[in-house]
Amino acid sequence: METVDITGISKSDLKWQIEHNQDKCTLCGKCVAVCTMGAIKADVQKRRKVTSCGDCPTPQVSETVVPVIKQIVTSSKNCVGCELCAKVCPNEAIKPVLNEKNRMNVKYRALNAESPKRGGRTNLHTEGRTLDKIKIGRISQMTDPSLDALRHTFELLAPFGRVLPPENLPFSVDESGNLKIDKKIPTTRWIYPIIIGDMSIGALSPRLWEAICIAVAYLNEVHNLPIRMCTGEGGVPEKLLKSKYLKYMILQIASGHFGWNRIINSMPEMVEDPAGILIKIGQGAKPGDGGLLLSKKVEKHIQEIRGVPKSDLLSPPNHQGLYSIEESVQKMFLSMNAAFKFKVPVAIKVAASVTSVSVYNNLLRDPYDIVGGFFLDGIAGGTGAAHETSLDHTGHPIVSRLRDCYNAAVHQGKQGQIPLWAAGGLGMSGNLAADAFKMICLGANGVFTGRLMLQIAGCLGNDWGKCNACNTGLCPAGLTTQHPILMKRLDIDKVAQNIVNYFLATHTELKKLMAPIGNSTLPVGRSDALITVDKNVAERLGIQHVC
Amino acid sequence: MNVTIIDSLQDGKRLSTRELLDIIYEKINLGFNEFKILASGQHDIGGPLWSKNGAKDNAGLVFHVTNPGQRVGSMGMSGTKIVVHGSAPADVGWLNSGAEIVVLGDGGDTTAHCCAGGKIYIGGRVGTRSGALMKHDPKFEEPEFWVLKNTGSFSFEFMGGGKAVVCGYGCEDLKSVLSNRSCCGMVGGVVYVRGNVEGLTADVDIYPLDDADKDFLIKGLKTFLKEIEKPEIYDELIDFNRWRKILAKPYDKKKFVPELSISEFRQQKWVKGGIFSEFFGSDNEVIDLINTGENRLRIPSWDNNLKTPPCEFDCPVSIPTQKRIALLREGKIQEALNLIYRYSPFPGSVCGQVCPNLCMQTCSRKSVDEAIKVAELGVKSFENIDLGEFKPTKNKTVAIIGAGVTGLSAAWNLMRLGYNVEIFEKDTEIGGKLRQVIPAERLNQDILNIELEILKSSITTAGGKINTSYNIDKEEFERIQDDYDAVVVAVGAQNPFVLPVEGKERIIKGLDFLKEINKGNKFGVGNNVVVIGAGNAAMDVVLGAYKVGAKNVTAIDIQKPAAFEKEIEAAKSLGAKIMYPCFTEKVTPEGVYLNNGTLLKADSVIIAIGDRADLSFTGDEFLNERKQPLLNQFNQSLKADNVFFAGDSIRQGLFCDGIGQGRSAALNIDRFLEGKPLQPYKNGKKIKPDEVKDAYYRTMKKSEICALDTLDETQRCLSCAGCRDCKMCLTSCPRGAIERVEFQNADGSTAFAYISDEKKCIGCGICAGVCPCGIWTMKSRLEG
Repeated sequence: METVDITGISKSDLKWQIEHNQDKCTLCGKCVAVCTMGAIKADVQKRRKVTSCGDCPTPQVSETVVPVIKQIVTSSKNCVGCELCAKVCPNEAIKPVLNEKNRMNVKYRALNAESPKRGGRTNLHTEGRTLDKIKIGRISQMTDPSLDALRHTFELLAPFGRVLPPENLPFSVDESGNLKIDKKIPTTRWIYPIIIGDMSIGALSPRLWEAICIAVAYLNEVHNLPIRMCTGEGGVPEKLLKSKYLKYMILQIASGHFGWNRIINSMPEMVEDPAGILIKIGQGAKPGDGGLLLSKKVEKHIQEIRGVPKSDLLSPPNHQGLYSIEESVQKMFLSMNAAFKFKVPVAIKVAASVTSVSVYNNLLRDPYDIVGGFFLDGIAGGTGAAHETSLDHTGHPIVSRLRDCYNAAVHQGKQGQIPLWAAGGLGMSGNLAADAFKMICLGANGVFTGRLMLQIAGCLGNDWGKCNACNTGLCPAGLTTQHPILMKRLDIDKVAQNIVNYFLATHTELKKLMAPIGNSTLPVGRSDALITVDKNVAERLGIQHVC
Repeated sequence: MNVTIIDSLQDGKRLSTRELLDIIYEKINLGFNEFKILASGQHDIGGPLWSKNGAKDNAGLVFHVTNPGQRVGSMGMSGTKIVVHGSAPADVGWLNSGAEIVVLGDGGDTTAHCCAGGKIYIGGRVGTRSGALMKHDPKFEEPEFWVLKNTGSFSFEFMGGGKAVVCGYGCEDLKSVLSNRSCCGMVGGVVYVRGNVEGLTADVDIYPLDDADKDFLIKGLKTFLKEIEKPEIYDELIDFNRWRKILAKPYDKKKFVPELSISEFRQQKWVKGGIFSEFFGSDNEVIDLINTGENRLRIPSWDNNLKTPPCEFDCPVSIPTQKRIALLREGKIQEALNLIYRYSPFPGSVCGQVCPNLCMQTCSRKSVDEAIKVAELGVKSFENIDLGEFKPTKNKTVAIIGAGVTGLSAAWNLMRLGYNVEIFEKDTEIGGKLRQVIPAERLNQDILNIELEILKSSITTAGGKINTSYNIDKEEFERIQDDYDAVVVAVGAQNPFVLPVEGKERIIKGLDFLKEINKGNKFGVGNNVVVIGAGNAAMDVVLGAYKVGAKNVTAIDIQKPAAFEKEIEAAKSLGAKIMYPCFTEKVTPEGVYLNNGTLLKADSVIIAIGDRADLSFTGDEFLNERKQPLLNQFNQSLKADNVFFAGDSIRQGLFCDGIGQGRSAALNIDRFLEGKPLQPYKNGKKIKPDEVKDAYYRTMKKSEICALDTLDETQRCLSCAGCRDCKMCLTSCPRGAIERVEFQNADGSTAFAYISDEKKCIGCGICAGVCPCGIWTMKSRLEG
């Protein structure tokens, strides 16, 4: 008994339409029971047949009522296409189908007076991926000997922290001929060239966050890969702060400063220094926007760790009180360096922008030796929640901007002094090693990756509009939810194992890529190794154009 | 057979590799098969060559070589024996395919590289990558590669078959007789090794020797040492305590298996209990996607009679018609017919006749065909009335001022609650406007009179008192307040609104007109009548005008007529015209002038745009500046808390509104006198349309519906919000989780309920989906 309102919303407007095959359905109820979105329900439908079965008109009517599974249509909360219904259906009787010509973009705004929000990353694929147009084309063939990825030992280490040029190293020789260091030098940590992060507690479920921590610890302690993880800015559990595994964690401070009270108060009981500090200014997925955690996810533990009540948590788009690069350096870099007595390197993360080179040039001066890294995040990066318009329409591709920053440093003869780390859609194709390797050849010291970890952990979504419901708190895979039932869907050990496995595979692949170009250390800036058939890409990046 | 001596230096000039090899080829063709070659670094001495009699000639070819270049014996074939007197550079026995090669000194890098046959004996050490890529083709004899001392790094890489023996002689101090990272990528064959080994890759494992290994070494060592001319060290080497063998890991075990699994790491090494244990404990239970009990996403609840059906919700009296039908369905006919009297004493007059029946307008059945016949059901209750007597149970008396439907409803309900009631009515008879102004065409007077009689007799039998022709002034009102425990003011609206226009004195008040007619008095109105107003009362006036002889009646209004369709149709059927929007400018003897200049000719002009209450008897302190009562949300006077107002005395409404407010006043007076908090009359939640499933019902034709007895509406009623006990849920539940249980009520009657077993239920909501009545409700655990 529902009325049809053409100014409202109907199934044909929806992005995902449920196809239900009643002949195959046994009405086992699993599809409805599993759906976290509440996008389907059981209902009944009448089947009315008028027949005539005699030698002349002999009308007969039969009416039967059958239970069906029906899609719920609302203006704001609908099927997201996660396909869990299809996964649990024993008979392949139900599945969501993408409605390419949906009108939700219009309807959602018109009916809710709201800007659509979602998680994930940009769903517009208008330009294609630059990195996919680049190949590693300089292979040692009867020239310098190529290396054997299996047999050879490689050093895959990247600096996190300020690297002084040789002439600035305060070394001297004492009377007895021993080398001595005349004054303190900045701390630099040599770590794996891939950092996981930075995803906060709150954005991720406690289980996923912990699973990533465990994977990182395991990779370090069992496989000797010095992987580091950035905590994101949602606080850090005290138990981790006070454990020896803090040494694998890069603490983040962003504009909301969430959780720093607990970090500061835990300092006297820390048994290890953290791996580093990352000051987050901006994020590639939603540059110019602060963090966004919708109230549905602000459960009790999040409220405690972050020190806030249940509410939508919007971090300011900028660090309040910072009005210039100089001020940022003074306040944020100096204070964060001082907080850990100058023993922990401090880096900064910004969204890639047409202004990135100016910022990097400015940071390169670094008269106080306190700038420990420049993290640049491109438009294809992921997020737990953002306005869709930010995700799809704001931001800057990472590749050329990273290259520009590297070239700017080279121009000053300062490459490598303030390490460059790049991110934003790396590993989107599933192959992080290839993306990381190409970025390194273009000048990155290392890369960082976040969204990919979710995909490794069982994310049901994709970059073509599937699921992307990280913001709702109803993540069907238990990854980005704080709900006590949903988070139990995630198996910490399995997720940690998958992440470990992915890094082991990536490690092999990185070596496989380093071997043919004959590098046993990371080929930072070795753009001679790269080629492309795309002339524009070649020109823009200064790599060989081939055909 | 003579030994052919080839000196690679001839006439002080060194032969090139090709010149030397050409000489060898020539000599072999001539039948020579034993050579002593004094080389000076020439390459590739020794193969692939075969004697004139072919490779199978057991005599074969023998080369004694000094000072060879690279690849001595490379691609050597079965039947060839090469002895290098001294050391040899790289690639000794490279791709050896059957030759026996002896180097009395050291071998260079990649010794025995890729060899797949024959035997290679090295009397010293070998360089890097030796033995790499050795293979064994089962068609040929297994290759052997013996080294007296040690090998360089990366030896036996990618080895696929054959036997290698590294004796480690004189290398006891080395950390590894295989140097570093040997056996990388090894997939087959065996490497016997004596002495320390480290830096092997994960592709291989080291094992102790078994008896077959020992047999092989005992036999082989003797030959090897004889060939390299060191038989005397046999005893030293044959100490098996120092020997081990290296084998490739089986294909399926190649993967690195760490000492601790992730799970063990988490339990043994990771932060105890997990880093979030302060919030969640150490519970690491992983749940399935489909769950029962506490892990369900939604939990069903059998909300029988907890939601309000539309008929009840939209009825101002909140008469639960759905329950009446349910009782009929259970066969409790009289109980069903009596139920309405708990709410209203006017089922015949109001429900059955004058009420616009909001219950029917909102009836869920309308989406199938037509509303349930609630009006007829009212009449049925009237016809079968069987209530018995009421007795006061509470020693309290409530005064009711006004005996219209509102006051009578209050009195009726208070009486049923056990109160003494005393009614004060200004008119000579009770019944108010129902009796005074409703035309007999619209209201069967017999039914009305009987209902009023029942009221009177019930009230008086119960000890109540009805005073008619009783005027109340301020003094009397004060007395009543003092003398009675509570007071209901239900005096109705008796003052018609008039228009402040020129000639307003010519306008007849509709209320007076209707009262006169209903008294049976003659009332001449002429042929042409204009009625100002087009509400329900105006339509009654239209009916009345025709009744007293008018020929043309026009009702005008400033807006779309507010009268119900039924009333308008009745008026139109008599010929009435209804016009809007019309704004009255003035009234003259000719008729009504509208503000656009139009003249509506009229012999009489009657106004019926509503009436208002005259509450002056209460005194100004009870009223606001607009002379309306000062009340809280429960219609309790702000001036005196034992005084409640109801009906048209507050705001003009329908008869059913008055009945509802009368009952509401009665219930709240009961709460007030019992010292309980007052409540709004309605607090239920209307069931949502899509919760009731109309698909189950067949659309009936009008004739079918008319032919149905009222008591058979049980089939047509959708039973909104009340379980009809059809068992659809129980039958549909895929988990068999639902059971029907019966139990005894306190009064001894039997009742039933449906229960879902949380141990079986997965929260799919099929029960709710199939429930025809909207009883099962899914409570989400994801909200909030």
